[in-house]
Amino acid sequence: MKDMTLGQYFPGNSLLHRLDPRAKIIATVLYIATIFLAKNVYCFGAVLAVSVLLVLVSRISLRVVLRGIKPILFILAFTMIINMFFTQGETLLFSFWRISLYLEGIYRAILMTVRVVSLIVGTSVLLTYTTSPIVLTDAIESLLSPLKKIKIPVHDFAMMMTIALRFIPTLVDETDKIMNAQKARGADFNSGGLIKRAKALIPILVPLFVSSYSRAEELAVAMECRCYRGDVGRTKFVRLSYTVKDWLFLVGLLLFGAAIVLANIYLPIGFSV
Amino acid sequence: MNILELRDVSCRYGVGTPFEMTALSHVSVGFEKGKTTGIIGHTGSGKSTLVQMLNGLLKPESGEVLLDGESIWKNPKDLPRVRFRVGLVMQYPEYQLFDETVRADIGYAPRNMGLSPEEIRDRVMEAIRFVGLDESLLDKPPLELSGGQKRRAAIAGIIAMRPEILVLDEPAAGLDPRGKAEIFESLNAYKEAHGATVILVSHSMEDMAKYCQNVILLRHTEVIKQGTVAEIFSDPTLLEESGLAIPAAYRLATNLCRRGIPLKGELYTVEGVARAILAYKEGRGAP
Repeated sequence: MKDMTLGQYFPGNSLLHRLDPRAKIIATVLYIATIFLAKNVYCFGAVLAVSVLLVLVSRISLRVVLRGIKPILFILAFTMIINMFFTQGETLLFSFWRISLYLEGIYRAILMTVRVVSLIVGTSVLLTYTTSPIVLTDAIESLLSPLKKIKIPVHDFAMMMTIALRFIPTLVDETDKIMNAQKARGADFNSGGLIKRAKALIPILVPLFVSSYSRAEELAVAMECRCYRGDVGRTKFVRLSYTVKDWLFLVGLLLFGAAIVLANIYLPIGFSV
Repeated sequence: MNILELRDVSCRYGVGTPFEMTALSHVSVGFEKGKTTGIIGHTGSGKSTLVQMLNGLLKPESGEVLLDGESIWKNPKDLPRVRFRVGLVMQYPEYQLFDETVRADIGYAPRNMGLSPEEIRDRVMEAIRFVGLDESLLDKPPLELSGGQKRRAAIAGIIAMRPEILVLDEPAAGLDPRGKAEIFESLNAYKEAHGATVILVSHSMEDMAKYCQNVILLRHTEVIKQGTVAEIFSDPTLLEESGLAIPAAYRLATNLCRRGIPLKGELYTVEGVARAILAYKEGRGAP
């Protein structure tokens, strides 16, 4: 359980870590849009290069980032195979019975993979790996604050999200602990049929629920003791502010997106999806 | 004779991530059959990791864990059987209670062992006798018990396996002195009745001095010293360097010695110091 990396924050002090979280959220949206705008081989090359560049700038080891892809390897392989064999094209490479493989299919499979991998690598490096969850929800609250005008309780949602995110590692730790305690009593989670395995989870789930409820209660009391009243009149310890480098970063990404669009139009060479 | 042994065991957490951390480095220790061995050390010295090595909850990165001279990892399919022989009570074990009644919860491990209903009933009754839990509590849901009762029910859940080796990680943490003493007494009773080996992790040097025969001292993931209680506790500098408190009785004894009252004997338990003071008074012919 402790080896989960997808969606985990790695503390650091790189340029990406220091950017304003709101800028990073906007940048992520821009980046995702750019990836889906990219249509030909050159664009995909550029997108992949930028993803690698982001990883390098974040100073998080490439190995750690790649490990984050491991959980979706199966989906990735599946998409690749589907794309490979179900794309009709002009250059037939190989045909056997009802299966035929076109050169276009291979291109398409590779490009799709590049798209998904850069999507995951890019967004996780831009956001989850380099932004602490607490700061992230702060940023979301700040970005959505115009909605407060139409009486949407943005602050409450942000607080709920902060609390939920805050307790994920705690819950993981606790699950680990309870699993070990039940294993020490001879629990077996890995054998038997579906029903037997589901039943084997009861000794984990019950204590987990019990402690979550009591923890929620304690947290509520602790918050009230510190006079939490929601959004009204609350000041912040960490104040978000945009700096020059945030603007430069956003403008850079915007230019990159524009370049991709232009490349789609003016560089029709190479195979495009 | 050592019934359980760690040989050159090392272990790290989060290998390959920025959170990599060594938990144990080249630890070799032995646990004598029929004795109570204490494991002491500052927070983060690797006590809890070591304890989870003993019944195969954690696999050592290198080195071996030997039960009766045989590696417990030789045949991973046998691990459940190892865990029935080496009963482990984790820290704050009341979290593990889950079943509808205390009786069913204590019977969880024996059920996993595949015992007959009669045998399970006998073991549950025996276990609650050892931990001093009243029979009337057996049909209550565990959540209705008090903190101390929950702790005892959780320990009974392990004792019901009748383990040859009983390992406890901070069994008395957060209990009042009386609850603490009761827990340790029940462990002693179990040990006497079944000739079991007991391994204890504790922060309280007083408890260690009182209930253990052997002590293992850990510091920064390494074993600094292992020996009898007398060998470890007669070296206060070593304890202080490891960030541990010196037993209060020992401090009293050294202060008395400094003021010209030479005491002799076991000076690390309250009883030992009391005996030494009495002996000193008799020697001087004081009233």
